[in-house]
Amino acid sequence: MNNPAIRIQNLTKDFSVGIRGVKLRAVDNLCLEVGDNEIFGLLGPNGSGKSTTIKIILGLLEASTGTCEIYGKPSKQVDARRSVGFLPEAPYFYRYLTGRELVRYYARICMVPRAQIGDAVDSVIELVGMTEAADRRVATYSKGMLQRIGLAQSLVHDPQLVMLDEPTAGVDPLGSAAIADIVRELKRRGKTVLLSSHLLAQIEGLCDRVAILHRGKLVREGRVADLVEEKDAESLVVEGLSAEGRAAVQAAIEAQGARLARVEKPRLSLDAYFLKEVHQRESEHAANNDSEGSN
Amino acid sequence: MSILDSFTRIRLIAGTTFLEAVRQKFFNSLLIISIALVGSSTFFQQFDFGTGELKFITDFGFGALFFFGSILSITATTQLFFYEMENRTALTMLAKPVYKLEFLAGKFLGAHLLMLSFTFVITLVLSAILYWRDTALVARLGDEVILDGPLVRYGDVFLFGFLQWMKFGILAAMTLFVASFSNTNLYTIIVSFFLLIICQLQYIARDAYSGMEAGWERFLVLGLGLIFPNFQLFNIGDQLVFDVDQALPLSTVLQLVGYGVIYTVAFLLLAQVNFRRREI
Ligand SMILES: Nc1ncnc2c1ncn2[C@@H]1O[C@H](COP(=O)(O)OP(=O)(O)O)[C@@H](O)[C@H]1O
Ligand SMILES: [Mg+2]
Repeated sequence: MNNPAIRIQNLTKDFSVGIRGVKLRAVDNLCLEVGDNEIFGLLGPNGSGKSTTIKIILGLLEASTGTCEIYGKPSKQVDARRSVGFLPEAPYFYRYLTGRELVRYYARICMVPRAQIGDAVDSVIELVGMTEAADRRVATYSKGMLQRIGLAQSLVHDPQLVMLDEPTAGVDPLGSAAIADIVRELKRRGKTVLLSSHLLAQIEGLCDRVAILHRGKLVREGRVADLVEEKDAESLVVEGLSAEGRAAVQAAIEAQGARLARVEKPRLSLDAYFLKEVHQRESEHAANNDSEGSN
Repeated sequence: MSILDSFTRIRLIAGTTFLEAVRQKFFNSLLIISIALVGSSTFFQQFDFGTGELKFITDFGFGALFFFGSILSITATTQLFFYEMENRTALTMLAKPVYKLEFLAGKFLGAHLLMLSFTFVITLVLSAILYWRDTALVARLGDEVILDGPLVRYGDVFLFGFLQWMKFGILAAMTLFVASFSNTNLYTIIVSFFLLIICQLQYIARDAYSGMEAGWERFLVLGLGLIFPNFQLFNIGDQLVFDVDQALPLSTVLQLVGYGVIYTVAFLLLAQVNFRRREI
């Protein structure tokens, strides 16, 4: 596969709003390439054109000008979507189906061969961690569960490219971390993932590359590390250093011709702190349950 | 192979559409009202219409089928279409390798299946009531008149139901066509009802046409007569059920079916033209 997973060239999308043909430019001359087996983040505030871009990539909307290809096939062709999975923003499904029925339904829509459907459905449901709730009706699912079952339906036909529109919006940090783990697992399996988000902290450690959109325009694009690292600074994290020790270190640094720019306490992000605490309690809870069970 | 795949997808979409529809309170209440109405026609037995009673019950039943069937066909099709658009389940569906025409065809078939069950139930209830009154009547009059056949041709009651169902198919396809370019539920329903009335009264234009001189007006009427199907063609209940001497020739039935299929497919394709350009 020499073609990139997604190639967008000079893409512009105008919506006509109002009666006098007033145009609203949702995407403005966007050029992007997403390579194979890459986790790509589409970042930007609400209304910056992320969903519109994704819908154009999927061929759900027509571009006003410009082109868009998936693995070399124009988005307009239905064929281009054969190997694409999509999780819409705030997904909504047929409520009277159970999670398993829903995933099976979409597997059949995507023409997964009959003999493989059972296994395919079970394995994606397990991948998204919905095995226990799979036989409950979708109507009873929480937001996080809907997101997971939506992820399962987007993966059931084993697509090479997966597009997730705001997969972590409205999901608690625990759920977001689980979704991030699934995305990493997909990358490990050789898939390409494009995800959009306005929650930047959750994306930071996940994406290989990001593009930042603002009012439909591409503001920045590149590797996360390249964008946010201070290129000419390094931080040392030390423990158990006395005041005299610190003075000595500072002297040593200055002797090297460098400068101690600032001293700060390393901080855990609140997200990471929350996850650590909750995980600890979860495992205690599980341990208690186990010991009760064995009594 | 891919044509078969297409049919599989259409069938799957039709299946969820139908299930969705059957779960709606609207369908269930309309069905119950219609059954009640058809059933209530037997209250008129106390007026003792004689054989006229059977005709009355039949007219009543066919009337209820037409009236509620038309309402159901338009509202259910609209509802089912907008349900998917507004809840964005259409988004999930169309992001898969599914053609928009397959989606529309699935929606149509689901609605059409709904109408089939509705028509079948109403026709069944009507036949049961007719049979009941028929036997009672024959028992009472049996000695006085010599019957040279059954009073009612029951097969034809179902044939009439079938033809009405074909008509509902055109109506559903027209409704989908309206829905394909409209943004709201209400607009779709209102416009579709207008279309229904036009199709119902279309024969008046046809009559006028035959009395017109050649000219652009005549041309206009002719054009309208072609664009809008003539729903009166399907209303041949009387001839069907009671005209003992003259059963409806098979060729006429086939012609009507062909007429229905052509208009249905044409409106679905028109809907597709709009739907392709629609932003989802
Ligand atoms: N169907 C539509 N009709 C008119 N305007 C739209 C439509 N869809 C999106 N927009 C507008 O396009 C802009 C970008 O929207 P969107 O792509 O949904 O942003 P994001 O996903 O980044 O929050 C917004 O200003 C939005 O109001
Ligand atoms: Mg969005």
